[in-house]
Amino acid sequence: MNEHIVKSYEDELNTLTAECARMGGLTEAAVADSLDAVIKRDRALADAIVERDERLDVLQADIERKAIRLIALRQPMANDLRRTVAAMKIATNLERCGDLAKNIAKRTLILADAEPMAPLTRSIERMGRLVCGRLKDVLDAYTSSDVDRAILVWTRDDEVDEHYNSLFRELLTYMMGDPRTITACAHLLFVAKNLERIGDHATNIAEIIHYEITGDEMISADRPKTDALRA
Amino acid sequence: MAQPQSGSISPLTSALVAAGAGAAVIGALAASGRLETGTAVGGALLVIGLGWLVGQRAEAAKAAPAQALAAEPGRSEPPPYASLVNALPDPVLVIAAHEPDDLAGRRFVLVNDAAREFLRIQNDAGLLVTVIRDPEVLEAVDIALFGGRSAEAVYAAGGAQDRVWRASAKPLDEAPNGDRRALLVLRDETDIRRAERTRADFLANASHELRTPLASLSGFIETLRGHARTDEKARDKFLTIMQAQAERMSRLIDDLLSLSRIELNEHIAPQGEVDLALAVMDVVDSLGPLAADKSVRLETDLPGPGAAIGVGDRDQIVQVIQNLIDNALKYSPTGGAVAISLETGLTAEAAVAARLPQASRLALLTPDHVHGVYGVLRVSDAGPGLAREHLPRLTERFYRVEGQKSGDRSGTGLGLAIVKHIMNRHRGGMAIESQEGSGATFTVYFPLIAAIKGQGTRHAPIVVTKVS
Repeated sequence: MNEHIVKSYEDELNTLTAECARMGGLTEAAVADSLDAVIKRDRALADAIVERDERLDVLQADIERKAIRLIALRQPMANDLRRTVAAMKIATNLERCGDLAKNIAKRTLILADAEPMAPLTRSIERMGRLVCGRLKDVLDAYTSSDVDRAILVWTRDDEVDEHYNSLFRELLTYMMGDPRTITACAHLLFVAKNLERIGDHATNIAEIIHYEITGDEMISADRPKTDALRA
Repeated sequence: MAQPQSGSISPLTSALVAAGAGAAVIGALAASGRLETGTAVGGALLVIGLGWLVGQRAEAAKAAPAQALAAEPGRSEPPPYASLVNALPDPVLVIAAHEPDDLAGRRFVLVNDAAREFLRIQNDAGLLVTVIRDPEVLEAVDIALFGGRSAEAVYAAGGAQDRVWRASAKPLDEAPNGDRRALLVLRDETDIRRAERTRADFLANASHELRTPLASLSGFIETLRGHARTDEKARDKFLTIMQAQAERMSRLIDDLLSLSRIELNEHIAPQGEVDLALAVMDVVDSLGPLAADKSVRLETDLPGPGAAIGVGDRDQIVQVIQNLIDNALKYSPTGGAVAISLETGLTAEAAVAARLPQASRLALLTPDHVHGVYGVLRVSDAGPGLAREHLPRLTERFYRVEGQKSGDRSGTGLGLAIVKHIMNRHRGGMAIESQEGSGATFTVYFPLIAAIKGQGTRHAPIVVTKVS
């Protein structure tokens, strides 16, 4: 069984990618579950997400350690070096997504005490599903090394922003109409902002994948942008 | 260990294997037919059949991961179950693992065609986590690998069609080299879940939206039976309003039913061939009188028949075109024009490219797998246009832009939602470009038949690249 303990260089690289993909799966689940928790006002689920976040932190540290070890011992070049660094950076982005999902879960615990607001929850759900889709697409692009798919995620970041702006206005209207909803609306606004940030991390990951595969950096100025403060 | 070695199949083993394979088919049929009792038995025998197959193939797959399930050279006869497992409608994977701690090290060593297509697997063996990373599914696989018992998980694959699968993992026997093995079978449960959700949505929408016209109808009936009983002039007026309300209710029910129907089939790609140019011409002809009533011109720019053959359901494509033109007519000022253009052979990127530099733009639907060429239909009106903040919500059910009048023939608020769901079923896309004060352009794009024929899959534009 010794041949499996001493892994080959290629195996080590593959393991790094696989660990990242596994962490991606956990992050996806955390984001999707946090959205479900908000929509269904599910406290038990929210508690579970907060608890599960530690696993992501541990995984991130583990990937970083493995990557550093690989760089130190194997001295990867070119392609392999980019792959190693990409795994490290993607893990950091995923860990941040996990934190944002945890934050959404914590807000769910407060929102569950307030009156339900059906139309707003629907808007949050729509935006959340879009962000989940983005995260799935970019991780699919990572595991299949598909640059085109990554570029597609990258160019479509403005859709998430549009949803965020639209939701921002909707929330303002509610708060102005009935001051009693301000607490809940403020929390929903942060939930929306967190989702928007997760979308940004997906875009970051797309940039990392592009760099990993092609060696070229993407130029952020080329990306279609919406002025978020315009609303 | 009852592992038959390659090349020396005893009569007893072949008999067992034949039984297993037969059962595999039964199991698969039972699974797709959802015969619950049959599934358990069939599934167990499927494990036997596959166990044998893996025993034959595991070593070869590891050494040379090429041409899965093909006849291996040097064997007296090709394994008869190879084509059989490949033909199973449900995705099937065999997973192998060595150490329980090496969580990212689970490998798939055998996959059938359905699994290749659904998970877009390009190699015959590889790391499991690169094709399925759902934590619950991975956990079920681990239970089967190291816990020695079967486990199930719901696998929400997401994507534009939002598919849901049931993943069942069953333990297989150990490989000759000591690797643990398990079988992972995915079964599509999108239908069942979608039916549940659609029913709930339908009831919620119907009860909410039908209440308003219904309340107005009963109000008028009360008035007609009360003090307006003898007032002939008022009676005529009320009856006209009542008729309009009843018509609205009936339109609403039609639209809701058609939306429900489309949603139920959304994950099943349509199969027919439709000439998009002819379909547009038909719709333009049928809406001609309506446009003439409003003194709105319908200006078309279409390629000849046969130039844009899309893959789809003709009735549904006609519904898309009709809803879009109808919508444009509604918001067109009298004496204005609605421009309808059909372009063919564009990439998805070109289809949604900016046309007006000043306008706001938003993709309302983007297909999961963008490739090949599309037929692009654009419908533009010269109406009031839409402000940016309304764009993300346009395809929402019953969403109305405040302060906009849609004329006497008010819609049901479902037209664009229907368009979006039909386009999603057709694996197409949809976008809007609008500038406040100078109209809106809706763009929809359909995959063309040429693009699909090129890759050999008949029913869905999914790229399945086979590495030989």
